[in-house]
Amino acid sequence: MGIKVTREEVGKAVVFAVEGSVDIASSPELRGELRQAVEQKRPRIVVDMAGVAFVDSSGLATLIEALQGTSRYDGKIVLCALGSTVLGVFQLANLDSIFTITKTREEALAA
Amino acid sequence: MAKRWDGIRISIDADPKYLDALRAVLAESTSILGLDEDETAKIALAVTEACANIFRHCYGGQPGERIDVEIRFETGLFEIRIADYGEFVDPAQMKGRALDDVKPGGLGLHFIHTVMDGVEYRKNKWGGTTLILQKRIEESAAAQDEFGFDDLDAD
Repeated sequence: MGIKVTREEVGKAVVFAVEGSVDIASSPELRGELRQAVEQKRPRIVVDMAGVAFVDSSGLATLIEALQGTSRYDGKIVLCALGSTVLGVFQLANLDSIFTITKTREEALAA
Repeated sequence: MAKRWDGIRISIDADPKYLDALRAVLAESTSILGLDEDETAKIALAVTEACANIFRHCYGGQPGERIDVEIRFETGLFEIRIADYGEFVDPAQMKGRALDDVKPGGLGLHFIHTVMDGVEYRKNKWGGTTLILQKRIEESAAAQDEFGFDDLDAD
């Protein structure tokens, strides 16, 4: 299954639409994309997870790394469209209160 | 004649690229028992984290070593045994991170212990670790046969 990451520029924001399973095998690809956006100090990074069927601790670590990266230059990362099982993993780790999570991409761009 | 055992045994190379296939087998297995999507996802998470720990800490991230997975259908219990061929690690030495110490990493053990009803580490006869993960299931959904799994056998 692997992962597919599609990058889209929306104004000053960059949106990454992720499809597949974000695990120890695939998270390096997402990490590379997010690191690049953080290095570019993009003010808003949106990760659209509508197509994510599974996420593990490696996937969460990738997102936490990006969250910490954006906080260093006052940027923001917003996650959107999480399915119930993926949201459940965030809740297990108490990360649903750490990340800004919205239901839709439009809300993420406005959050 | 009573069945000696009921379940699935598979071996994978210790390479993360096989985790999707392993999760697919798990999903088929839980569907046999009638477990819902949420329970299936939790079990898949625990098994993924367990295998990831083997990849990283037992085999040093190098593919080419073997992981054996045995999925057992017991009455009222769904059990997954994951065996490696590395060195046995004392569970007391395994440490995750506190949830409020937000940083990358350290969540795998927390997930395993949170989503499973039983977690046990045993030293196996090859000197490695067999991790036994258990999930209680409702009697109505459990297989009703008698079982007698032996420990995972070496080829």
